[in-house]
Amino acid sequence: MEQSTGKLKWSRLATLMAGVALVVAACGTASTTNNNGNNMASSDKQILRINSGTEPNSLDPGQQSYDYEGLIGRNVFEPLLKPKKDLSDVEGAAASSYDVSSDGITYTFHIRQNAKWSDGVPLKAKDFVYGYQRILDPRLAAGYTDPFFDGTIAGAANYASIDAKNDAASTTFLQGLGLSAPDDHTFVVKLQQPAGYFKWVASLWVAAPIRKDIVEKYGSDKWATVPSQVIGNGMFKISEQVPKDHITLVPNDQYWGDKPHLTKIIDYFIDDANQAFSKYQTGELDIQTVPLANADLVQNDPKLKNELHKLPSLNTFWLTPNLHKAPFDNVKFREAVSHAIDRQSLATDVSKGQYAPVTTFIPKGMNGYQPGLSDVQKYDPAAAKAALQASGVSPAVANGVHYLARNTTANKQLAEYITGQIKTNLGLNWTIDVIDSKTVTSRIRKANFDIYGPDGWGADYPDPQDWYDIFTTGGCHGTNWGCPNNPDFDKLVQQADQSTKDSDRVTKYNDAGKLLTNQFYVTFLYQRTEWQLIKPYVQGYQATPLDEGIYLPGDFFTNTIFIANH
Amino acid sequence: MAVAKGAPARGALLSIKIPRGRGSSLALYIAKRILWLVPVLLFVITITFFMAHLAPGSPWDKAGGRQLSAPVVANLNLKYGLDAPLWVQYVKYLGNVAHLDFGLSYQYQNQTVSSILLESWPITATNGALAFLLIVPVGIGLGVIAALRQNTWVDFAVGGFSTFGASVPNLIIGILLIIVFSVGAYRVTGGNVFLPTGGFGLDDHLIMPVITLAVLPIAFIARLTRSSTLDVLRQDYIRTAWAKGLRERLVVMKHVLKNSLIPVVTALGPTFAFLVTGSVIVESVFAIPGIGRTFVTAVQSRDYPLILATTILFALVVALANLVVDLLYVVIDPRVRLS
Repeated sequence: MEQSTGKLKWSRLATLMAGVALVVAACGTASTTNNNGNNMASSDKQILRINSGTEPNSLDPGQQSYDYEGLIGRNVFEPLLKPKKDLSDVEGAAASSYDVSSDGITYTFHIRQNAKWSDGVPLKAKDFVYGYQRILDPRLAAGYTDPFFDGTIAGAANYASIDAKNDAASTTFLQGLGLSAPDDHTFVVKLQQPAGYFKWVASLWVAAPIRKDIVEKYGSDKWATVPSQVIGNGMFKISEQVPKDHITLVPNDQYWGDKPHLTKIIDYFIDDANQAFSKYQTGELDIQTVPLANADLVQNDPKLKNELHKLPSLNTFWLTPNLHKAPFDNVKFREAVSHAIDRQSLATDVSKGQYAPVTTFIPKGMNGYQPGLSDVQKYDPAAAKAALQASGVSPAVANGVHYLARNTTANKQLAEYITGQIKTNLGLNWTIDVIDSKTVTSRIRKANFDIYGPDGWGADYPDPQDWYDIFTTGGCHGTNWGCPNNPDFDKLVQQADQSTKDSDRVTKYNDAGKLLTNQFYVTFLYQRTEWQLIKPYVQGYQATPLDEGIYLPGDFFTNTIFIANH
Repeated sequence: MAVAKGAPARGALLSIKIPRGRGSSLALYIAKRILWLVPVLLFVITITFFMAHLAPGSPWDKAGGRQLSAPVVANLNLKYGLDAPLWVQYVKYLGNVAHLDFGLSYQYQNQTVSSILLESWPITATNGALAFLLIVPVGIGLGVIAALRQNTWVDFAVGGFSTFGASVPNLIIGILLIIVFSVGAYRVTGGNVFLPTGGFGLDDHLIMPVITLAVLPIAFIARLTRSSTLDVLRQDYIRTAWAKGLRERLVVMKHVLKNSLIPVVTALGPTFAFLVTGSVIVESVFAIPGIGRTFVTAVQSRDYPLILATTILFALVVALANLVVDLLYVVIDPRVRLS
């Protein structure tokens, strides 16, 4: 499905607009069955201009924790594994293959003999040992350390107890981790306990190899601040970075695999939606997300609507009630709220179709999706009123709820919609508090709220472990704000995480999903589709729902993207 | 500090004759004013430091999604010295600033705040200075013409433009310019002729942002010039000039303009300071990698060192612009004396 997306739309555009030039182009498209098609533009035109909106905070992949950073990290550094196109499993990247011991504890990765760094130095297993150690080095305080490595890799559970000011203690801790390189092409990871999802962890952009000699030459803090010093092993390397404006990637000619067709990727940091949208219209950008405000405009524009692609994405959004404070400590009250919200109308009227209505946790398109549970939280005004009645919550308390939201236009619209539904279907008057984002984070971390939304999650990798860990007691005030603190839930998740049998894991996660839904710990609302405008001449991309796709669809397989004649 | 400011009438009150040569008194005056910057900056730093730290939320809180775990946050606080009591951090900061060390940014890892400001400020200053160069002749020119042709269509046209410029926010002007001269022109000419929608470059990238920045100040300066020119035109000495039979050009340039410009110069000082410290809105609308946007993202992400250094820079620019204005009074208005 991924490969056809671009071409399908392209031919449709041609049929709709009967221009001679377009028909010629369409013929060219039709003859392209692979990426080396004869309609590929000359190499000086293989330039792709995208917009990720924000400058990366760091060029060191281990220090990157946002999607707009992962996009760069993933293309400049190559981890051991990467997802398959259909996300059914992983496939080899810097490692050609890997073995897991029968007890699920020892992972042995076989690094490609022909893999090299962008300066020509062969890639070695010790580079992964060093890269992984850097992620867990308390002195570097990498953001994406937990829960991927903390508690997964043997010895890493002590991370929190190491005094980062004590160099000797940090060094001892790092040397005691279950990471080793018996030879140049074998990298062995020992886990604390079985973790069937570890293959996905090994495919994250953070899990990149790092060159110790480079870091030591330029300094641990300084090496990743200058593009030319960032020696990577990915398909691309960084050729320039213009602060607050753009970063440019060019092919790494030392890359072991298929070289990219693109000769340049220019990634702009434009945060203003109107500006970016205008740039797309004047042909200064090739790919651009459609902001909610422009959804109607794009769908009704004869030219733009043919360049619009609705790409599936693995995310779920919900409302988070404070479970330790009245009235949301009352399960019946939570049930009333959940039944009172019409998700269908939210999807069609408020989101103009950018959202799909959702009443369960794991998103559609991922292992662990539970459509069978969708009735539990469904829209049902009669049931909502009945539940409110049964809850016994006094009108004063029920009306005193403050709905907390971060100050963006889309969040405000959602807040107004939700409180409108509560008013219509439950007759309650809630107050909306729209506050600056940092203040909201600090308040939810301190449990200083009634109900907060939208809260949500996007898959880091397509394994339910990435999702269920959010709501465990350990995630209280760190990944979840309502704090269910339910021992049954915790136990199910722990058993599933540590089980070596896939079928067993799925059953346990599903049971945990049932608890989460039935107890109305959160109120599920919607799954977002990524609306992208993509110029018809951008072809060959293999989008997956796991991409940092809102910026560059197909960024796991960037080497197949090309610019067609136009 | 006795500074001659504002209306010329006050100049007379402040005129204390200094027996020494004018040159040395000027140097002394400038030296004094620059010394005064130290307590001013100390005040600015102190207020900003504590206000920034008092704002809820920490630099490590994220705008949604997975938050950093407690041990990671603890390590980050350690790394950036945020584990120490606030007053210790404050004293340390003052010591560093005295050595012109503004620290590392939290947001842009391992980049010094100075390097970030050195990258973004010249861009803002270029746009701002160009806008200023446009504002001075156009604003003053329009104002003088409107005054000289009072109650004619020229006057009304200038008045209309001033009202428009003063009331339409530059956000709207920026977006309108993009719609017309970028997207519209692109569609009409099939992509042959259009202005770049945004970004920075020493070429046609400058046109729309500079115009957007200049509209409001031009409107303001034109109004101010018009009213002060009208005041001057009513003065006896102008009547005398006319009576002497001087030509219009001479009357306007030598007698009217020089006197009517005093309040305008007062206004141009802050205008200049405002322009070269960047407009957040204009920089955002045109995606200009300038200091205005840097400042806003710094505030949003609680990047304390970047917030502080930007504020110090802004305070310096405003103080220096005021100093220049005060010095200009001496040139324009002989009644003003520095003391």
